Formats: sequence, C-alpha cells, structure tokens
Amino acid sequence: MINFEEELKKFHPSLEVEDAEDAIYNQDLTDVADVLVGMMKEAKVENGALD
Amino acid sequence: MICYNCGCQLSEKDFCTGCGADVALYKKIMFTSNFFYNEGLEKAGVRDLSGAVTSLRQSLKFNKNNVEARNLLGLVYFEMGEVVKGLSEWVISKNLRSKKNIADDYINMIQDNPSRLETINQTIKKYNLALGYCQQDSLDLAVIQLKKVLSLNPRYIRAHQLLALLYMKAEEWEKAKKELDKCSRIDTGNTTTRRYRKEVEAMLETAENPKAGAKRKNSLADDVIMYQSGNETIIQPINNKENKSVSTVLNIGIGIAIGVAAACFLILPARVSSSNSEAQDELRSVSEQLDKKTSAIEEMEQETKRLTEENEKLKQDLDNYAGTDGTLEVVDDLLQAVSVYMENPQDADRVGQSLERIDPARASEVESEHFQSLYKILLDQAGPSIAESYYKSGMDSYQKEMYEEAIADFLKAASYDAENGDILYNLGNAYRQNGDREEAIEVYSLVVEKFPGTEKARRSRSYLNNLNAG
Repeated sequence: MINFEEELKKFHPSLEVEDAEDAIYNQDLTDVADVLVGMMKEAKVENGALD
Repeated sequence: MICYNCGCQLSEKDFCTGCGADVALYKKIMFTSNFFYNEGLEKAGVRDLSGAVTSLRQSLKFNKNNVEARNLLGLVYFEMGEVVKGLSEWVISKNLRSKKNIADDYINMIQDNPSRLETINQTIKKYNLALGYCQQDSLDLAVIQLKKVLSLNPRYIRAHQLLALLYMKAEEWEKAKKELDKCSRIDTGNTTTRRYRKEVEAMLETAENPKAGAKRKNSLADDVIMYQSGNETIIQPINNKENKSVSTVLNIGIGIAIGVAAACFLILPARVSSSNSEAQDELRSVSEQLDKKTSAIEEMEQETKRLTEENEKLKQDLDNYAGTDGTLEVVDDLLQAVSVYMENPQDADRVGQSLERIDPARASEVESEHFQSLYKILLDQAGPSIAESYYKSGMDSYQKEMYEEAIADFLKAASYDAENGDILYNLGNAYRQNGDREEAIEVYSLVVEKFPGTEKARRSRSYLNNLNAG
C-alpha cells in the first residue's frame, strides 16, 4: 500500500528557467576521468618527491 | 580519443605516443562511458526514458566530455517535460564543444520562440504551485493546477505522476489509471509509474470483484480436480467448457437484446426525426415556390387587366377618331376625290361624285390646315367645271320641264360656283316654274343683289314684281 505522504516527499519543485544559470554553474562536473587524472598526477608528484 | 596529459591523438597502444603517459585505464574509462551512452541510446529508442537517463548519467560520470551522451540526455529530459534540465545539459554541451554541435540547434529552437519559452516557464511555475498545494493539503486546487500544467505540456511525466497520486489519494482509481497510462506511453520504464500502476490495478480488481478474493479459494476447491503426477500437482477445471459455452450464448443473447433496444430507442427515433425534418424542409421549399408562382400570376393578371383597359381606351380613341367625327372618312373621301381629279381633270362627273361624298359640314370640322388647304384648292380648280356640268344637266331637265331634277342640278352647280349668275338665275326660274314661290323670290333677290345692271338682274326684278304681285 502506497503512503501518500511518503510519496509526496519524493516530488521536488522543478527548476524554473530563471534558475537554469545557477544550476549549470553549480553542477558538479567531476567525472571518473578527472579522478584518474588527479590520481595519476598525484602519483607522479609523489614519485618525483621520492626520486 | 585524445591523451589527457598532452592532448595527442591516442593509438591502439596503452601509452601515449606523444608523451608516453599510461592511458590503459583512461581508455577503459572512455570505453565504459561509451558503453553507457550506447545503452542509453538503445533505451531511448524504445522509450525507456528513465532507463536512458540512468545510463546517460552514468556515461557522463565516466566522461563528462561525452557530448553525444550529454546532448541525448538533454533531449530525453526535454521529452519527459523537464525542459530546464534539458536546456542545462545542452548549454554545458555547447561549452564543451562550441562548433558542430547539435545542441546549438536545440537551444536556438527554444530561444527563437519566446512565447514557447514563456509557456514552458509558466508550466513549471504552475507545477511548483500544485506541489505547494499538495503540501498544504489543498488537494482539489492541486488537481486543478496540474490539469492546467498538463494542458500546456502533456508530456510532463512528473505532473502526470503527481496527478495520479492525488487521484489515488481520492480513490479515483480509473482516473489514476488513465494518468498512469499516459505516463507509460511517454516513458515505458519509469519505476514510479509502474509502482503506482500496480497499486491502482490491484485496487481496481478489488473494486470490480470484491468477493472474488475471498471466494477464489473455495471455488477453486469446488471447480477443479487436483491430482499428483510425479512431483507436479495438476489442477484441472471441471465443467469449464460447458460454463463457457452457456455464458457465450447468454452473452450473445444479451448483446442482441441491447442492439435491438439501441435500434428502437436511439436509431429509429433519430431516423424518424431526420425524415420529418427532410419532409418539413421539402414542404417549406414547395410552399416558397408556390408563393412565388402565385405572386407571379397575380402580377400577370394585373398586367393583363391593365393592358385590356389600355386596349379598350385605344379602341375608344380610334372609334372617336374615325367613327364619331368621321375625320378619317372625310380625309379618305378627299384623297379619293383628289386622286380622281388627278387621273382626269376633265371628268367633271366623276370628280363631282367624289366630292359629293365629302360632307361639307364635317370637312369644316377637320382641324388640319393641310386638309383645309387641299380641299379649297380642289374646289377652286375642279369646282367651276363641276358646276358647269351640273348646270348643263339642269338646263336639259329644265327644257324637258323636269323642274325637280333641274332644281337639284342647279343647287349642286351653285354649291360649286356660287358666283355664277346664270346658275342662280335659272335656279330661280326652275323654282318659279315648279311653283316654289318663296324659294324663287329668294333666289331672284340674290341675283338682283349680286349682279346689278345685268340682263339677268332686270329679268329677275321683273319676275320678282310678278311674284310679289301674284
């Protein structure tokens, strides 16, 4: 049996057109490739420090 | 695919040929991103939009620069009614690749139509308002707002789902099912829609057959034969066939009855009404034609009456003209006399006979100047010879002592030549010989008066004296 109150909580207000700009700027665009590249660079720096 | 370190084009090797960086893991990440993109594309193709969103977001989690995946995600959001989310993805995509990007077209499509953008914004605001009503427990207002939202954007999945939820809350299961059907047509793989649908269908089944659930077990025991065949339990229905055939016949019978009833109560009255309407139209048309014809006949009758009256008047005028005053007859006689005179001016008898037909009294009434002129000319020219002719005739009668005839001839001769003294003198003699004393005195007096000093005047005076003395 579906609980109306609980279901209602799952619905969120939609972004309005005026808010689109903020949404775009605040979007977290970090991807796995960024993480990998970051790790690789860190590893490289660490290796350089060790050398 | 380019190297994350130096930007060189990568080969099939696991390292960059430009900078020597290890790209094996990086390549796997790129391939994974592409895999999710392909999956998303496939799901979008079968309208599993929710599944497509999940796959495409995964794809972008692995490679944010996957412009195709981002553009497709934007398109899927747009199709689901999430316009701002779609726009956001396209704007990011355009920033990542500014040229040869289809996102450009999508953005322009929306931006070039300000009214559409305004409609989209209004839709979103109304949806948020409806959500606010829901949270304030004003569910009726929320339903009204959501209906407006869906009239503006019928593909807004979340609005359909929220409306379905409200219907479910109000236990309007049929309406909820309709909304969920619409959701399913837009997005086949939405789990929320499926969950709601399952609930609604269960409730509808219960509503249609409330005792079915309770009785099902009992009836199962009565209507089936259960037996064990090896490890399997076989359940076989009893009399299923018979019941089915009976119900089929019953259903056909009910169907026929409903059909006949529909024909009697719906089709037949409609046909009768239609026929009556046609007949009335036809009657109206015929009446109009009849009115027109009657009007035309009346007009023609009036015209006929008018023409008859005009004809009568003209006839009367013609009669008056030709019959009563005899103008035409007089003119005709004059023309005939002229004709006779011109044929032979010496034939005094015939000319005289023609002129005698003209009544001098009527001739004087004719107002035509030309007529009078012609009549005078004819009398002037033909008169003396006619008078001469009558005079001779009169003298013959006188010598034969036929005084009556002589008087008639002399009178005619005098009418054509009143200035001829011989005619008047002999007329007086004829009156005297005939015993017409008064007429003789009158004529002799005229001769004495008009021709004084002549032999005729002297003799006339002598006869006058004798007559007066006698």
